[in-house]
Amino acid sequence: MINPVMLSMLWTATLDTLTMVGLGTALATVLGLPLGILLATTAPKHILEQPLVHRALGGIVNIGRSVPFIILMVAIIPFTRLLVGSSIGTTAAVVPLTVAAIPFVARLIDGAFKEIDPGVIEAAESMGASPPVIIFKVMIPEALPALILAVTLTAVNLVGYSAMAGAIGGGGLGDLAIRYGYQRFRGDIMLQTVVILVLLVQGIQMLGDKIAQRLYHRQ
Amino acid sequence: MIEFKDVTKTFTGKNTVHALKGVSLKIPAGGIFGVIGQSGAGKSTLIRCINMLERPDSGEVWVDGILMNRLSPKELRQARKETGMIFQHFNLLSSRTVFQNIAFPLELAGVSKDKVRSRVGQLAELVGLTDKLQTYPRQLSGGQKQRVGIARALATEPKLLLCDEATSALDPETTRSVLSLLRTINENLGLTIVLITHEMAVIQQICDHVAVLEDGVLRETGRVIDVFTRPQSQATANMLQGLHGSKLPAELRSKGSANTLVRLTFIDQRAHQPIISQMIRTHDLDVNILYGRIDQMKTTPFGMLLVELDGTREQVTEAVQFLQKNQVEVEVLSP
Repeated sequence: MINPVMLSMLWTATLDTLTMVGLGTALATVLGLPLGILLATTAPKHILEQPLVHRALGGIVNIGRSVPFIILMVAIIPFTRLLVGSSIGTTAAVVPLTVAAIPFVARLIDGAFKEIDPGVIEAAESMGASPPVIIFKVMIPEALPALILAVTLTAVNLVGYSAMAGAIGGGGLGDLAIRYGYQRFRGDIMLQTVVILVLLVQGIQMLGDKIAQRLYHRQ
Repeated sequence: MIEFKDVTKTFTGKNTVHALKGVSLKIPAGGIFGVIGQSGAGKSTLIRCINMLERPDSGEVWVDGILMNRLSPKELRQARKETGMIFQHFNLLSSRTVFQNIAFPLELAGVSKDKVRSRVGQLAELVGLTDKLQTYPRQLSGGQKQRVGIARALATEPKLLLCDEATSALDPETTRSVLSLLRTINENLGLTIVLITHEMAVIQQICDHVAVLEDGVLRETGRVIDVFTRPQSQATANMLQGLHGSKLPAELRSKGSANTLVRLTFIDQRAHQPIISQMIRTHDLDVNILYGRIDQMKTTPFGMLLVELDGTREQVTEAVQFLQKNQVEVEVLSP
């Protein structure tokens, strides 16, 4: 039923999707974490209380989250070209994916930090811990399971976004599904890509849950 | 050791709360000092002003000759490292084991790994948790969690320990054991303990001095024995009622007996002497005991009797004078 050529195409497309999702998630986490930390700690009554900064950041994050991905992708093409020299292909698709995921990650991380008992942070303050110490030795370890789940959610989201990125030549499973499955009426390929996407999402979620579970010591 | 000079603190927001309205207070070194008040009295704000977890709007807070309000953030962090604090809800780090929780302040102080290990061992022994070092807080009971909190607070050998409702989340049995641990620590390590509570029993069990806070105002302060036996404010009297069972039953009050109803308080050695029987013999009157109890204030024996004196007016007046001469506190309740 599946010929070797198709199989190799599916394989390449899967690898492309994994690259986009993996790189996008990693970069978005690296760039979104500081933003999330800033968002959480500048909030009223928090360790770096800065109402103006907090509101400004919150506004930027909300704007970032409200731009539809497909529009964002097209809108930042010049930026993508500047960064990777092209706006087509898997590497190029990583740029809009990352940009779209940063505010998402930041908001999730902010939420994860909000779950920490303020009393624990107060206890650290009472011991003379400085804000950086509180962030790295208290907030991040305490919120780690929630942070892992936030990253997992981001990765799952990026699987969906990466399929959209396929529409403008990003490669990957979405691209394959559109070009072969949709435009050439190959229902079998459409089905196969969807099955792979479903398995991918399941796998990512299970892995994330497992890691979070292992780190979870709270009641 | 600690001095508050006209400290005020107001929380503005949807409901403006005047948590402290000009509190001046001296806390001596070496003892256990209790601050008691109902919830909302401002005691939580008061204790947080000592290590600047809350900054006063005005007034001065002195700790060991240092004006805390004026410290730079860096100096304040240093000062906090020399002060331990424990909390009502323990506030342990859930991601760390008992060992790592106790070690946390030592890590902050940059103590070497070997020293951390031996110090944590000592502290675990002090609080009786040597077999729990590798468990996570989630697996501990409330009393054990507070013991971890105490060990953590003592890790850097502070001179001052602040206790924020440290036993309010614990059952009576566990409360007693945690309080006796605090007393042992106070006696053996000689550090000053400041605690806040809404329970008179906590004050009675371990405190040397007490301050009564009501609506952000300091109603009275002094030695526990003095404040308990001679309350100067209505707030104190109200809080003592529950503890002493000294509220007069309505039936007795309405009986309108011709006899004089008095409350007698015996402190320390007086509690051992047969003063009542001497009074009956020397003054030839009848005594009807309505209620009595004997208790301890920290280590001081303390007795309380509710009696009716049946005799002529002169006999009663002389009997009261006799009691007062023998250093028994007499409060005439009726007529």
